Amino acid sequence: MPVTIDDATEAKVREILVESLELEDEELTRTGRFIEDYDADSLGAIEVLSALEKTFGVTIEQDELSNMVNLEAVLEVLSRAEAR
Amino acid sequence: MSTAPAAQRARGPVITAWSAVSPYGIGRAAFTGGVRAGERTDAPVDPETWRSPDERACLVPDFDVRAVLGKSGTRGMDRVTGLAITTVRELFAEAEAARCPVPAGEGTALVLGTTLGSAQSQHDFVRASYEGEKPYDVPTRQMPYTLMNCPAAATAIRFDLKGPNSTVAGGRMSGILALGYARRLLATGRTERALVGAVEEYSRSRAWIDRHSRRTAEGQPDPRLGEGCAVLLLEPATGEPDADVPDASADPARTPLAELLAIDIRADVRGDPTSTLRESVSQALGDAEVSPEQVWAATSGELPGPLGADERRLLAELFGEPATARGRGHELLGDTAAVSGVFQLTTLLARAAEDTEAADRFAVLTSVDEDGMIASAVLRLLAQDGGS
Amino acid sequence: MSAQRVVLTGIGVLTSIGNGVDEFTTALREGRCGAGPITLFDPTDFRQQIACEVTDFEPERWVRHTPLEELGRASQFSIAAARMAMADAGLEPAQLRDRPGLVTVGTTDGEARELDQLVESEIADGPERLDPTAVRRLPAHRLALSVVRELGLARAVPSVLGTACAAGNYAIGDGLDAVSSGEVDYALVGGSDALARRTFAGFSRLGLVASDRCRPFDAEREGLLTAEGAGVLLLETLDSALARGATIHAELLGYGLNCDAHHPTAPDQESVTRCMALALADAGVKPADVDLVSAHGTGTRTNDITESRAIRALFEDGPPPTVALKSMLGHSMGAASALGAAASAIALSRGFIPPTVNHRTTDPECGIDCVPNEAVEAPLRVVMNNGLAFGGNNASVVLGRYEEASR
Repeated sequence: MPVTIDDATEAKVREILVESLELEDEELTRTGRFIEDYDADSLGAIEVLSALEKTFGVTIEQDELSNMVNLEAVLEVLSRAEAR
Repeated sequence: MSTAPAAQRARGPVITAWSAVSPYGIGRAAFTGGVRAGERTDAPVDPETWRSPDERACLVPDFDVRAVLGKSGTRGMDRVTGLAITTVRELFAEAEAARCPVPAGEGTALVLGTTLGSAQSQHDFVRASYEGEKPYDVPTRQMPYTLMNCPAAATAIRFDLKGPNSTVAGGRMSGILALGYARRLLATGRTERALVGAVEEYSRSRAWIDRHSRRTAEGQPDPRLGEGCAVLLLEPATGEPDADVPDASADPARTPLAELLAIDIRADVRGDPTSTLRESVSQALGDAEVSPEQVWAATSGELPGPLGADERRLLAELFGEPATARGRGHELLGDTAAVSGVFQLTTLLARAAEDTEAADRFAVLTSVDEDGMIASAVLRLLAQDGGS
Repeated sequence: MSAQRVVLTGIGVLTSIGNGVDEFTTALREGRCGAGPITLFDPTDFRQQIACEVTDFEPERWVRHTPLEELGRASQFSIAAARMAMADAGLEPAQLRDRPGLVTVGTTDGEARELDQLVESEIADGPERLDPTAVRRLPAHRLALSVVRELGLARAVPSVLGTACAAGNYAIGDGLDAVSSGEVDYALVGGSDALARRTFAGFSRLGLVASDRCRPFDAEREGLLTAEGAGVLLLETLDSALARGATIHAELLGYGLNCDAHHPTAPDQESVTRCMALALADAGVKPADVDLVSAHGTGTRTNDITESRAIRALFEDGPPPTVALKSMLGHSMGAASALGAAASAIALSRGFIPPTVNHRTTDPECGIDCVPNEAVEAPLRVVMNNGLAFGGNNASVVLGRYEEASR
């Protein structure tokens, strides 16, 4: 069952991103780019992927990492992720 | 400043600085103060924090990695890595304060001894694999911390140490093994200077491993586990002007504290560790051209149990009670396992600094473990400034 | 300096493509691939389930004086490989018993496999009930100590280097220095690691594990395959080898070590180039003299691009053939670069280049000749063997063909 992208989902995703990328909540915008704007590294990106999988019970292929450039993109990837 | 005559110039590599993070606290001054006061360090283990089977242990007081090192780059950092980074930070800061800063970069190696790295990080990681919904639901950020080389590698990243970066997994022998390894790096010119040390963390996982592998006799009290990290700066001896690599000699601004003369490491292969140790000590003394009566201090590894007691007896027999009394003290830090050998040495250096008798006399370090590893080292103690 | 020339006269290997120097040589020539379904732990629910395991390993053949239950699999491996190396060198343990020696084993995970099993039993029965015999197998230093005790090498220094996936090369370099300086008469050096669930889970989580085969430098490469194995080399001075009429596989010309001091998992291209340059300078060899690079070549996107760029930066006139043995062997962690050095020595003495197997199309971004799929006969004089590790621990070893007429 695909994940419904609503406010609750977005709030949870924000929580994951803030934690994994070591950001303050107000720093994270919907379009702020993880690598360029938030200095994320490869481990941080995988941590996000892993946390999304666990939290939402989905499987996200490793190839999607390159698409997960900002919050909006992560939500988009999550919307088409399949249950694990 | 040392003005030793030419005949007494050091030939082996010399220790020119050191620092420690120990149950006495953070930094060299805390360590020296604790050694001189001869304070015990064991304290109740907080059951909430540690969920440990131990009632008491010797912990670095209030050591919280992120509180000590700040939040930047320390999320998820394990204790063993935090201890190593903090110790090197202290060594650099103390050298800076003494106006002879230690250069980083390509000319500086780091050789760090360990038992397993962090048993706790490894334990937690694989436990997550067994208990997660999926077996790959392991904590991503912790992956580097499961590797034994993480403390050394993370310290290099923090301080830009681009020389050889080596992790010596030697258990209790780590200190002497790391010195032997670093001595080869210096002798071959692979580095200009080496930070040499060892690190051990306290953890619940280590407490259980120790409890099950311990071989202390029935009825003996449980040893207190200790933790910490100690790092020495090892540099080539200040050579004669015509030495092969004049640039790679100790910065003349730094006072050599001790000269590393000889190391002997071997294994007991015939079920008689004490005789093997006797041979090892004899070999090291012979290589150093030092006779037992020249030895000012002899320090044993203080392995808990009968084997450690035999080691102490042997040193007392060879060097006399006054010398072994001078070598004691690090046992007050608990069973510090991988870092015990370096704590033996830093304890001696702290003591030699306050005793003018020590200058130009010799120290013997030994260590044994339950697996049959045996190690000895002989050092010459050099006159230190500002000892009192 | 009174540094002496150091040669490699004994090779002992345990790998997923064959055990012992003869079988290993045949496997390298044939381009065998050791990949297969994981049997050493339960891979259920992992997204990938392939690894390279050492098969037909009978520890009792090699371990004669130590109770087997005292030894973890990695220690059993190191004993077996050390015995093989010694036999290959034509030496009996008794001949080395009272001579100063160095036994250095590099490892990534030590006895991680043992800890995996202990944690599993802890989950079932609680930490109070762990088996003390199993717990005592854990310390990493036993990988070398077990060799010294089993072989009765009374004057050997047992030493374990835990420099992750470059550890084998670290050990070889240390052995080279110890023998060359006269500190010891011989060195048994290399690496050993046993397949561990923890490592597999970690690499899997990082997205670095391939689903079927390891395809280094391939445009469609998916990642590495975890593996196990051991490689131990016997080193002695050239004079010693000549005096006893030993067969010389290769000469160890030099090595380089450095640290990226950059990132916990991502390699740094310039630093890798510098490490290789240090090794060549130590060996007294110019880039143009290098006939073959045995790359770290894990088959991950990041490693292969970074390493091939680093190689191209070093070899300004174009890199020599650059092969990735991990296509055959998988990534045997601390053993990997020791097996790479063993294969390099075999390539030098037998005059062929082992291939990079499972190869389809070379990634143009890598831009090297990886000698795809088929071994090539080639008279080689100098081979460089790379080991790169998480934490930026780099080590390159340079080996040369030994020719009797050479000075």
